Amino acid sequence: MEQIEEYFKIALRNIRTRRLRSLLTVLGIIIGVFLIISLLSLSEGLKTTINQQLQSMGGEMVMVMPGGEEDIFTSMLFGGEKLQKQDIEAIKKAKGVDKVLGFSYTGTVARYKDESKQIAMCGYDPWKESLDVLSIFQGWSLSEGRWPSKGNQILIGQYIANEIFSKKIKAGSEMVIKGKKFEVAGILNSLGNKQDDSMIYMDMKVYQNLTGEKQGTAAYAIVKLEQGADENVVKTAIEDSLEKTRKRRAGTDVADFSVITSEKMGEMVDTILGIIQVVIIGFASIAIVVGGIGITNSMFTSVRERTKEIGIMKAIGAKNSAILAIFLIESGIVGIFGGVGGVLFGSILAKGIDYYGQINPTFYFTTTISPWMIIFALVFSFSIGCLAGFFPARSAAKLKPVEALRKYE
Amino acid sequence: MNPEPIIKLENVWKIYQLGKTELVALKGLSLEINPGAFVAVMGASGSGKSTLLNMIGCLDVPTKGKVYLKGKDIAKMTESELAQFRGKVLGFVFQEFNLISHINCLENVMFPMIFQGVPPLKRKEKAQEILKMVGLENRMVHQPMELSGGERQRVALARAFANNPEVIIADEPTGNLDSTTGKMIMELLKDFHIKQGKTMIIVTHDPNIANYAEEIVNIKDGQIVKNHLTMKKVLWSK
Repeated sequence: MEQIEEYFKIALRNIRTRRLRSLLTVLGIIIGVFLIISLLSLSEGLKTTINQQLQSMGGEMVMVMPGGEEDIFTSMLFGGEKLQKQDIEAIKKAKGVDKVLGFSYTGTVARYKDESKQIAMCGYDPWKESLDVLSIFQGWSLSEGRWPSKGNQILIGQYIANEIFSKKIKAGSEMVIKGKKFEVAGILNSLGNKQDDSMIYMDMKVYQNLTGEKQGTAAYAIVKLEQGADENVVKTAIEDSLEKTRKRRAGTDVADFSVITSEKMGEMVDTILGIIQVVIIGFASIAIVVGGIGITNSMFTSVRERTKEIGIMKAIGAKNSAILAIFLIESGIVGIFGGVGGVLFGSILAKGIDYYGQINPTFYFTTTISPWMIIFALVFSFSIGCLAGFFPARSAAKLKPVEALRKYE
Repeated sequence: MNPEPIIKLENVWKIYQLGKTELVALKGLSLEINPGAFVAVMGASGSGKSTLLNMIGCLDVPTKGKVYLKGKDIAKMTESELAQFRGKVLGFVFQEFNLISHINCLENVMFPMIFQGVPPLKRKEKAQEILKMVGLENRMVHQPMELSGGERQRVALARAFANNPEVIIADEPTGNLDSTTGKMIMELLKDFHIKQGKTMIIVTHDPNIANYAEEIVNIKDGQIVKNHLTMKKVLWSK
């Protein structure tokens, strides 16, 4: 063990001697690990966000969205087709459906006092009924104020009230959205995820007047099931009803809508993000392997340059195993330095994304760095380092002392 | 009764294959060196004296014949055992000093002790002591590049003495030095030999250097042509 410590010191000194080359070699690994950490933390964050949304949706609800199941994530992130008035009526008619809430959201600028900020606003239709359903089944409650009763009254999430504007917003305050004055009737208690806490909620009619969206449409529909109804049975009923309505409309005989139960949504998220993560790990691994080839290259050059030094070491009593260990430790250190650097830079980027998300509530990406991710990155980079250094180290160890000593520096 | 030779070569051949050509460096050479001897190996350039030294130093193995070190056949030793032998029993001094350029003098002298598992503190103490012995107490933290040729060779001597070896093997130790500095190095080697009774084997083509030895082995075309006790006049001092 003591010998390994000595070899470790020799390897570190060798790295220091070739500072620039070592740094460039380390950089190759840093890039690979940085990619793994930053991209995986993003996809993990996305998974967490979506799962939070699903949990808030609850088991007695299903969602209806325009577009096929394969378009769900694009339409969630970037918006898309709207559900028409007839579609919402068709959903209402399906067996097992108790209530249908249409909702849409968009980003806009809101002014409070003299400060303007980018926020997200959301319209619910029908407004009064939505508030009842959401307070009974989704756990909406007020931290202050009262439920809105007039058109110019809005509800705001906790995050908007306390974090976004420099001055905290109190119930009864006035906010200006798209040039129109609104009264903040109430402030909601936290809904359990940042997106929902960063919203302004209002009557869909007011929302559509503000945004110019067609009246009666909605981006999504939340369907509250009748008590005891099976969500999969209701899902089929909604699909049948919607298909009939759509087929009556010209050119829309394709089922371009999706009825998503919370269970289904969870499965889809896991599948899609699972694939994304495999692809990310695959690509980032290629980057690390390229970095590893950089280590091999650098170590082979080093063995050539230090042939005489290796000869001297052998002449003064270094065993083959000692030379092998020194070179392996050297490449392992390069690998682990690359891993640590990559984790560091990847974490900085992830935290930067989180910070940007905090000051821009409409930016929904968050990041999650789990310990297994860091352990994986460090173990992987160290292993790549050792593996990449193995052949150069072996060639150094196998050098015959008399031949190595003959080489001139 | 004669003592058991510390080094014994029996009918040693060394043949290098250079493409289709064979180069015979040693031709059936036999030699015995007793413990505590001071031997100079002399010969012209290309005579095979360095090849002989490499065999004695376990840096190379013969194509044919036997080399015994302390009674052990080096051909039967593993690479690890040979390395152990080089580190413990032998000390090398080279014509080009062969110091490690990116570490200082003290670290260079400490280096062989690492491979023998000497603890760091003891290593440092011993290296300082030997450097003092060769008169380099003020140069310990200097890099080899900051030293003169003579000083570098003294660091190399100190390194060779580090593990207190039984045999010092020096290949043209004064080859790159002026005569005054060369003399200083030889005095150090002689001192080490006399005070500590170590076996010295020096390769040289300089009769002045060879005259420090008690025995001179002359080599020509890979064979020993003369082996006699030194009787010549000493040119520097003795």
